[in-house]
Amino acid sequence: MDKSTIVCRCEEINIDEIETAIKMGASTFDDIKRLTRCGMGPCQSKVCMNLVRELLSENLGKPLKEIPPSRMRMPLKITRLGSLVGKESSNNVLSVFSESSLEEGEQQNE
Amino acid sequence: MNKHYDIVIIGSGVIGSSIAYHLSERKEKDILVVDKGFPLSGTSGSTQAWVWVHNKTPSWYGELSMYSAELYPFLGKKIGDVEYKRTGGIAPFFNESEREKALKLAEAQAEVGIKVEVLNREQVLEKEPALSPSIAGATYSDIDGNVNPFRLVELYIKAAQKNHVQFAFYNPVLDIKKEKGLFKIFTKKEEPVTAEKVIIAGGPWTKEIGEMLGVHIPVKQVRGQIIVTEPLAPFLTHTIGGMRQAENGEVLIGYSKEEVGYDRRTTLDVIQETASMAENYVPALARANVVRSFAGIRVIPEDGFPIVGTIPGVHNAFIATMHSGITLSPLIGTLMSELLMEGETSIDLGRLSLRRFMKASEKV
Repeated sequence: MDKSTIVCRCEEINIDEIETAIKMGASTFDDIKRLTRCGMGPCQSKVCMNLVRELLSENLGKPLKEIPPSRMRMPLKITRLGSLVGKESSNNVLSVFSESSLEEGEQQNE
Repeated sequence: MNKHYDIVIIGSGVIGSSIAYHLSERKEKDILVVDKGFPLSGTSGSTQAWVWVHNKTPSWYGELSMYSAELYPFLGKKIGDVEYKRTGGIAPFFNESEREKALKLAEAQAEVGIKVEVLNREQVLEKEPALSPSIAGATYSDIDGNVNPFRLVELYIKAAQKNHVQFAFYNPVLDIKKEKGLFKIFTKKEEPVTAEKVIIAGGPWTKEIGEMLGVHIPVKQVRGQIIVTEPLAPFLTHTIGGMRQAENGEVLIGYSKEEVGYDRRTTLDVIQETASMAENYVPALARANVVRSFAGIRVIPEDGFPIVGTIPGVHNAFIATMHSGITLSPLIGTLMSELLMEGETSIDLGRLSLRRFMKASEKV
């Protein structure tokens, strides 16, 4: 196949870019993703995941079943931010401003 | 891998890679970087990557962050385009009562040369019209910005490789022994290597690596969760304390802290609260589509400040543990390179020494 063939349509990543990442030592879908943005677009690797796994399998000489899938994360399907808004507070989400403090030892750095 | 190196760096995140690159600029030493995974698979690849200065306190810590931010434009010239953008940083507050604290912050930071402005609502909205009119004010500084963490770490590694640094990925360090004045480092995939000097840059695994040298390094693992929107037309021009819009239009949102060990799951409660924060800061975001969430584990020393320098009691062993590695990596790389090559640094690292955690009897 032509090396310029697009594998990830969202981010327009081609075979050549993926094979370059594999040459650098990438051996999972997510390794390739972080170097190339392959799979980081709106479809979240639904189109490219198995194509990339096949390329990994061929290039690394490993059976396909040994190449793990990409890590899926919520919300899985594109979701309006407003519909995710929660009513409860876990107290784990902080304000950056509130962390600026002037007393030595009092603050939590970020 | 060779059998012997002058310097072995454990950890190929933003800090280990920066140290490797800055040491390699001299082209004098044989250097190996070993990592248990692949670059960007840990902390350095799961961050919003603010280069954030203005409300780092006390002001001596802000000053260090400022020097590091100042190194970024030159770093980009040396290793390639890391997409560093000095956007200016806005940290909003919602109660008028917080203005006094903001003014005190501005006064303290001015003493070390960090210019912080305290804005009222109109000034905030003039700078960043998408922010909520319910904001009472904000602290602001020109010095803050952000960087592309993927490009940053990749380019540190490539520049170091060009200077003949060797990297071994997917190769966890299993043990370190000291034999005849040299470190013997046992890894999972290769024969043991010896090294004259060793640097711990293991991020959230720092404590475990310290134990191999018989040293207790008091750090915590602190999870942060982020949500990512679809690419949107450019509408946020600054780095906001809590979110930023990336070059491609995505907005990265989140600022959370949870001590749950090395657990990188995203959880619905924090994601919902993060969405709520986003809506409070920038109401229009309620209509944006979210495509993904992610979580990363920060390393944070117990008193909140980086640990940098020699390891007391273990000759030729060094440590560089942040928080905040993205902001501080150019400076820490530079200073660690000075420390290893000349034995002293241009900025005094005394405050950041591991010694501060040791009992009087352990201080040697």
